Amino acid sequence: MSSACLEHIRLIRESKSYTDSLYAVLTAAHIFNGPKYMLSGLSGMAFKFTVHEKLLPMSVTAYGQWGDEHWQAVNNLGVYTEWDGGRTRHPTFRYYQQDAVQAVKDSLDRGIGVIYWLPEFGVIYGYDDEDEVFYVQDGSSREGQIVLYHNFGLNSTPFWYCQVFGEHVHVARETMILESLRLAILDWETPYKTLPHTDIASGRMAYAFLRQGLEKGGFDEDGAVYILDNYLCARTEIRDYLQAVSGTWPELGQAFNLYDHLVCTVSGIKGCIKETAGLRRVDRRQVHELIAMLTAAESLEEQAISLFRAIAGKYPDLKRSTVPRWGTHSPR
Amino acid sequence: MGAVLLSELQMKAESRSYVDAMHGILAHGGWTTLAKPMLSGMSVTGFRFTVNRKLAADSSTVYNWMAENFLAADFLGITSSQQAGYSFDVTFPLYQKRAVSVIKRSIDHGMGAVFWKDGFVIAAGYDDERSELYYLDGSNDEHQIVPYADFGINRSPYWYYQVFDSRIELDELAVYKESCIQAIYKWETHDPMLPESHYACGRSAYDAIIHALRTGDYDRAGARQVFNDYAASKRDVQLYVDTLQGIWPQLSAAAACYTRLSQLFAEIVGITDSAEETASEAEWIRLVMDARQTEEQAIQSMESFMRETIDNRYNDIALR
Repeated sequence: MSSACLEHIRLIRESKSYTDSLYAVLTAAHIFNGPKYMLSGLSGMAFKFTVHEKLLPMSVTAYGQWGDEHWQAVNNLGVYTEWDGGRTRHPTFRYYQQDAVQAVKDSLDRGIGVIYWLPEFGVIYGYDDEDEVFYVQDGSSREGQIVLYHNFGLNSTPFWYCQVFGEHVHVARETMILESLRLAILDWETPYKTLPHTDIASGRMAYAFLRQGLEKGGFDEDGAVYILDNYLCARTEIRDYLQAVSGTWPELGQAFNLYDHLVCTVSGIKGCIKETAGLRRVDRRQVHELIAMLTAAESLEEQAISLFRAIAGKYPDLKRSTVPRWGTHSPR
Repeated sequence: MGAVLLSELQMKAESRSYVDAMHGILAHGGWTTLAKPMLSGMSVTGFRFTVNRKLAADSSTVYNWMAENFLAADFLGITSSQQAGYSFDVTFPLYQKRAVSVIKRSIDHGMGAVFWKDGFVIAAGYDDERSELYYLDGSNDEHQIVPYADFGINRSPYWYYQVFDSRIELDELAVYKESCIQAIYKWETHDPMLPESHYACGRSAYDAIIHALRTGDYDRAGARQVFNDYAASKRDVQLYVDTLQGIWPQLSAAAACYTRLSQLFAEIVGITDSAEETASEAEWIRLVMDARQTEEQAIQSMESFMRETIDNRYNDIALR
């Protein structure tokens, strides 16, 4: 009977839950050092922006097939990773579940936390064989939640996900930055990242979905606030990231200026969310202001992405000029 | 710490595909007594039909290995672990080290492992003192050698491996039915990983072949290889659906179509290079058009057989 508890892991919710979790795990393991916006920028996570047509809360995490998206994010940091997940209703789930339980314990024994879908991503930071439980932080409290080995992977959504990390190699800073820009371009230009479904849009198209959703009015109240909060957080992260790396290429300095302007432009969004009866809600009287701000922001972001494209175009992109044997696929 | 070798392992390359390696490993490990055509159908691999628009020779292996080889095993109730990537990636050495260790562990447990060595091959042994892996490529019974340090270094920039971990009992009839649904999906759907400008899948693959033959804008040697590979797949599928019609007479029309399809592909492969290229091209076009029509009919029969399940899956028939 063994157990482990990585007390020094601290998940703080502020960005996308995956970014928060990744930051908690990698900083605790001394694999990544630096502020969260750097991790969010370098991994490309900050640039992910997806919106469901009804502005459902799931919009924020529906940025593609997690395995592929997260692999690219973590790979750009030079970190070895393995993930597992799928639909809990599939007959092979019980086997993969047991396999994953062991992999999580092995990782914790090596002193590295594990990312886990609760839903919203959280961090498994401990286990106890005697009680057959994992300890999971969700950012709400220090202790977080308990997940029984037997229930591992089972949650209110139809899918499960967990991800472990291993050794890492050094990646040149310029290489990481360049790849992060390419990931940003890809997310901006791809209209739908969860095909065959076309009710969730990404990047440029996500702006259209967000505006249309707000305009039509029949949107999910919690979802709208969550999307807007996260949107603001991500733009601030991008701005701070670009400021930090602006010396790498002159275009990045210009892109920083655009995002700085953008953050200013959308700062009024906070004022469009009002608290009534303890619930934060989009103030319906200010929907037109909201839409105007988002329209202006989209145009700024479009200009910034053009600058990214100008930088990316100067260097060969082996990864994207070679047809892969993995990546985008329809869930089956 | 001498050499470890699973000497009874065998592999026979036919469709030059994943199922050749998978069948070799599962049969050797005693995990299946089924013939390759049954595995080819149940795992859905035999129903895949993707071509490069210029009919490049590697067409039959250009697909999403991670997504589809996982599923191939999953459909059979076999659980697996796999990884893939570009060998030029900066993290490749980390993955290479891990891959060799996972493959060795599988061999220690008496199971070969699939990996990519300019084709899907079977890792059948290793020698730690010499730091070498031994593998079978299906062309003969000789073991080939790849040093650990060269694992994943191929003519193309891809590395890949898959080990089979465990198996669970599935209802055989449910597996057959699922394969019919997936066959329909494959016929109708473009693989989202592939740029449509360069690749075509399922029904559209036939159109792409016909277009290539008509315009003459294709790789002639490649085309022969593509036809050879898929002739083996269609042969597998013919035998598979023939078995299914023994269970469900409603599939007899589909089985008859696949029999004809398999014959047509045999004819396509049988056309030898003549002095006049245009003569053989005209013959190819005629046969491929016939094959397209025949497979369309086969899929239609399977669709009417599976109508209820298809309806229950709404807009995403492949999602189990």
